[in-house]
Amino acid sequence: MTTRATYVALLDGGKRERTVEVTPLEPGVYEVRIGEAVHRVDAWRHDHGTLSLLVDGTSHSATLDERGSRVHVRIRGSVFPVEILDERRLRLRRAAGRFTVEGKQTVTAPMPGKVVRVLVSAGAPVEEGQPLLTIEAMKMENELRSPKRGRVVELNVREGQTVEGNAKLCAVE
Amino acid sequence: MPPGRIAKVLVANRGEIAVRVIRTCREMGIATVAVYSDADRGSFHVRFADEAVHVGPSPSRQSYLDVERIVEAAQRSGADAVHPGYGFLSENPALPRALERAGITFVGPRPESMEAMGVKTTARKNMADAGVPVVPGSPTPIADEAEARALAARLGYPVMIKAAAGGGGKGMKRCEGAAEFGRLWQSARREAAGAFGDERLYLEKFLEKPRHVEIQIFADEHGGCIFIGERECSIQRRQQKVVEESPSPIVDERLREAMGQVAVRAARAVGYRGAGTVEFLVDQDRKFYFLEMNTRLQVEHPVTEMITGLDLVRMQMLVAQGERIPAQEDIVRRGHAIEARVYAEDPARNFLPSPGKITYLRVPAGPGVRDDSGVYSGWVVPPHYDPLLSKLVAWAPSREQAIARLLRALSEYTVHGITTNLDYLSAVLRHPAFRSGEYDTGFCSRHAGELLSPPDGALEEVALVAAALAAHKKDTEEAEAFAARAGEAAAARSQWLRLGRARSLRGALR
Repeated sequence: MTTRATYVALLDGGKRERTVEVTPLEPGVYEVRIGEAVHRVDAWRHDHGTLSLLVDGTSHSATLDERGSRVHVRIRGSVFPVEILDERRLRLRRAAGRFTVEGKQTVTAPMPGKVVRVLVSAGAPVEEGQPLLTIEAMKMENELRSPKRGRVVELNVREGQTVEGNAKLCAVE
Repeated sequence: MPPGRIAKVLVANRGEIAVRVIRTCREMGIATVAVYSDADRGSFHVRFADEAVHVGPSPSRQSYLDVERIVEAAQRSGADAVHPGYGFLSENPALPRALERAGITFVGPRPESMEAMGVKTTARKNMADAGVPVVPGSPTPIADEAEARALAARLGYPVMIKAAAGGGGKGMKRCEGAAEFGRLWQSARREAAGAFGDERLYLEKFLEKPRHVEIQIFADEHGGCIFIGERECSIQRRQQKVVEESPSPIVDERLREAMGQVAVRAARAVGYRGAGTVEFLVDQDRKFYFLEMNTRLQVEHPVTEMITGLDLVRMQMLVAQGERIPAQEDIVRRGHAIEARVYAEDPARNFLPSPGKITYLRVPAGPGVRDDSGVYSGWVVPPHYDPLLSKLVAWAPSREQAIARLLRALSEYTVHGITTNLDYLSAVLRHPAFRSGEYDTGFCSRHAGELLSPPDGALEEVALVAAALAAHKKDTEEAEAFAARAGEAAAARSQWLRLGRARSLRGALR
């Protein structure tokens, strides 16, 4: 059994962080400290991605859906996308400097599809939420919107072009 | 001509509806043949059927929409009937025509009935001639944008732009005013061309706060034609139905009877055979107007099955064998049923489709719950087709209990790896306007903000506990596995040591 471990949880896409300290007490039983709050937790692993938690006696079914570096934790119909870092990974991330949503934001194709409309031109100023392009996929047209207020600094596609999933379509800065 | 008993049916569809049809066929002892495109080799319906035939590349135009390939697959597999499901070729008269030439039974209406209803403008004219009330609009398809614009101005905004060959909400746009007319017209044209291979459009006046209520009808070869109750389908997003229920909260026995009679008249007017649905718009004065007739099984047919106990696919197969449908007075409705459509889409990102690998799937169970699904854990939802994963239906004696039951079932539904609209569906069912039954087709856009509920902040700590403990367990296991490997290595080293000693000893003893 390992000893105490400290994790940093990134919430709201990295805008917020909270520290979680885990201390094993006996097999399956832990003391979990989040800020000032201390919980006694009995954890039981069910089938894939499902934990049964007795937190101070209350029963919760938690499902953990791993999405790359993040995990989507669902508790009673509420979903919390969390990135859990131990101290080593946290230092690495800080060094990489990818903590903010400032700077250039690249708009990528969410899935393979066809660009049916380009609604902006390179260099054009855009508002947050303004439609940039329309992509047709799964038989429906879908608008992609600007993640922020700024200027279109790159435009890599034209109307009629077929794109792969994750293709870089344009960038806003 | 009654073809006699069907021994083997080819299901010309994919996903949940193919699975749904195969299930009934299995119960009836009918052998089944699935078809699949390149993208669908691993699809659930392929494994579920008795036989499967590859029909082409992933784009549906070159596979599921290719009449020749489907007919060829039926011939090759020796099927004596083809069930089209919904969507794809289900409303294309070219399929029944080609099947007739090949001597294969089509499980559906005659091609002439499809034509009479398939082109929406022709259908409107046929219905008006049969004395069925229709929504004001253009009598024929309009080719020219300027002409359409002029008619829109005459009808008065808002207007609906619709695909003449349409259905399922594809190529259908609600236009609020002249300023956005051009953009929506062009977009509808592209969608119509892509979905139906026919870019003709027409206009209809948009009724204020209408409800979408449809009547399930059934007809046989012997002059039998009945209605099997209504479905309320006003919960729609971008003209796509999301939640359906029966009975409709606004339909009483008198209105049901009146709509049912009109629906039967509409079906008889086109010499209908098999399962069909007559869609109506009901205005605030409970006046109803013919919208269109779907000459096929509807996506939401389980709602009707739940309250009547009937199996509509079985009835389709029996009618195709030339048998009779039940009498009108034998149709008994009981209780309330609600269906929620589970889509691979992300409500937080403007309902963008979310194809990808389902890493884990657990479906609800318990009293009164039915899950019509076409996916499994490990399946990669392909980007080529409609993102419908499953239809979750709840039945209960009363509407209130049915809502509570469907909410309970939705909370049990677990899909990992891709994003779904499960929480959105729960938010719809919890919404006071839905609960009261006082809603119309504008529900989803009017309450859009309220239907994207943020997570409950009080549960954040529990989520953090779960995430941290999962990370801790993983770290612990990794550390233990490392230690175990290190232990083995050490043991291996000492084996060599022992062997070396033994050898030297042996040598010494010699």
